[in-house]
Amino acid sequence: MNMSESEIRILLVDDESAIRRALRPPLTELGFEVVEAIRGEEALQLLRTGTFDAVLLDINMPGIGGIETLRRIRSFAPRLPVLMLTVRDAEEEKVRALDEGADDYITKPFSVRELIARVRTAVRRVRAPSRAEDAPIEIGDIRLSPAQKRVTRRGQAVHLTRKEYGILHCLMSHAGRPVSNAELLTTVWGAEYREEVEYLRTFVRQLRKKIEDDPSSPAYLLTDVYVGYRFVDAEMLQDQAAIVTQDPDQPPLEPVPQPLPEQQKP
Amino acid sequence: METGHVPDAFTPTRSAFSSGFAPGSGMKELRFVFQCTLGVLGIVCAAALAHRFGWLLPAALLIDLAIVVLTAWLGGFWQALAVSLSAILVHTAFNARGRILQAAADPASSVTLVAFVLIALVVSRLSAHVRRTATEAESWGRQMSDLYEFTRRTLAMNLNIEPGQQLADLVQEIFSLEAVVIFDADLHQTYQAGYWRQDPQELAQSVYYFENSDDDPASGLGRRVLRLGNVPIGSLIVRGDTTPLTNNTIASLIATTFDRYRAFANESQIETERRTEQLRSTVLDSLAHAYKTPLTAIRVASTGLGEMGKLSPAQAELVSLIDEQAAVLNELTTRLLTTARLDAGEVSLQAEPVGVRSLVDDVVAGLKDRLASMKVAIHIEDEDLELKCDRQLIGSLLTQYIDNACKYSLYGTTISIRVTRSKSETIFSVHSFGPEIPTADRERIFDRFYRSANASHRAAGTGIGLAVAKRAAQMHGGQVWVSSSQSEGTTFFAAIPAAVLQRS
Repeated sequence: MNMSESEIRILLVDDESAIRRALRPPLTELGFEVVEAIRGEEALQLLRTGTFDAVLLDINMPGIGGIETLRRIRSFAPRLPVLMLTVRDAEEEKVRALDEGADDYITKPFSVRELIARVRTAVRRVRAPSRAEDAPIEIGDIRLSPAQKRVTRRGQAVHLTRKEYGILHCLMSHAGRPVSNAELLTTVWGAEYREEVEYLRTFVRQLRKKIEDDPSSPAYLLTDVYVGYRFVDAEMLQDQAAIVTQDPDQPPLEPVPQPLPEQQKP
Repeated sequence: METGHVPDAFTPTRSAFSSGFAPGSGMKELRFVFQCTLGVLGIVCAAALAHRFGWLLPAALLIDLAIVVLTAWLGGFWQALAVSLSAILVHTAFNARGRILQAAADPASSVTLVAFVLIALVVSRLSAHVRRTATEAESWGRQMSDLYEFTRRTLAMNLNIEPGQQLADLVQEIFSLEAVVIFDADLHQTYQAGYWRQDPQELAQSVYYFENSDDDPASGLGRRVLRLGNVPIGSLIVRGDTTPLTNNTIASLIATTFDRYRAFANESQIETERRTEQLRSTVLDSLAHAYKTPLTAIRVASTGLGEMGKLSPAQAELVSLIDEQAAVLNELTTRLLTTARLDAGEVSLQAEPVGVRSLVDDVVAGLKDRLASMKVAIHIEDEDLELKCDRQLIGSLLTQYIDNACKYSLYGTTISIRVTRSKSETIFSVHSFGPEIPTADRERIFDRFYRSANASHRAAGTGIGLAVAKRAAQMHGGQVWVSSSQSEGTTFFAAIPAAVLQRS
């Protein structure tokens, strides 16, 4: 767990004091530095004067609101990890936030573990040395070599169609980050297909049959219900493994670090 | 509107028969005698004058004729007849004193008498006709204005209260009737005004049940069945001086007013229900939203405590309990929110082609935790089956059915999810073995907040989920139902039409 995060400095933006008060102690205790802002406007000021490693940004705030704040942040800090805090039933907001360049979103009410995992993933992605376009990507058993357009699983070649490869490449090069349906469709099929979600679902199902041990409960290619898909990154995979191998008598405080961030609606 | 067989004469029923000679009130007899006396006196005077001045007979007869004509015109035939008779007698008496008895036998007097009588008859008929026409015209005008007044007043009537009593009072007042009774078959109510010797309720109901519309001139009773189109909706009985045509019109107006009242009441009830529903949804929605923030704070606090990792096992147990219960509250809140939005019509149907296989897979994956200890079988008739529907709504429906099956199924039994397609619709069904749902409950379990009496002890539930499922199906123009028996188990069905219509 102790990655060399050498103190992550977080800007927490939420108009609800209860949430700020609840988040500060555990985050501080776990080695994060937390700066609070009540509104988007205040957050923008703080970001201009100070440096931060990540921003936790509530979507629903009085004033300019989360999405507009995000847009303005992106205008001067394109790579700063921004994670949106949203509620269930707000899928459109989530998709919009992703479109505006958010790194991830977390659905209220979330657990501290989930939040920290997401923040670390996002920060890690930014801090990782930039990868060459053609460099192979290896996550768990899956290895994708863009140069040869080749995918192997535990050393065995996996035969993918062009679209399947396109989807996998897009997701794996953004490992850990949710990619919206529209973004996937636009990248792989083209902009005129951005509404054809059913295409995507069919191809993802085929793809899962080829790369997952149990396609009905995927370990790599996860669904963000109503939003899009995400490919796990190496750390998330390790966390999953850690929990599976944990002593069954000592159940973890948290169920699973959220392979599915959204449960299906009732 | 009325199909009653009534004469179309527009004369007041009773006044038509009371004109002319009719043994009626003392007042009329007195007038008759007075008119006769006056006529006879005139004859005697004329005869005396003629005799005194020695007028020729024709001149005397001319004067007598004038008196007879006058009597016939102003009084009537019978008065004129009496005057004619007296004229003959008086003249005979004056001409031939002491031979009165023979006068009747004189052929000249007989001829004169017949002529007088004929003239009296013609003149009195003429006079009566002219007078009747005048009365009719006047009565017509009065009734028109009464009907106009009645129409105006019924239109201005307050329809927030039942109109029956108001109508009865109004009819009696405007048409100056002795008594009125109105029977409203729909509400099974009678409304009366004025005095009835018999039980008016019984009278009015018999008119309604036997459907007899008629007018009885002798008693002044007018009976009418109130109809809307051809459907009888009540009855009306009036007693007093009216005409069949007026009665018809009154009956039509009353029927129309009843109809207007019903439409009005219906409309305001629907409006009230809609507003109540909207208010409830708004309250639910804002409540559910207001719950999210404290729930998040509680969850963050409890999980934060756990992450900080300085807790004794007992403390950790309590903290995880807080977390768990917060999650339960959250689930509840989310459901309330969903149903509130569905009910408020805020959710619009976003129909798209949905692969049934991937839909079912997603739903089952979403319920992975709940289904971990269950056996699940999925049968999809056609793996490539596509359905044009709102993925999210149908997903909610299936989630609810499966979740429900988890809650109530017996341990170790299999939950079967099945999708079949008929010509016009796709049928989703979720089968499980569990306690039988009583017949009386099978409709009502889809109502919001309804929970079967014997279910309340067994499993946690809010009585919201199935209402969401029903609403989701309805929005697609589909329907939901359940079959249940102890031996066969319980199956929840949802039929979604192939051609989904936009429903709000």
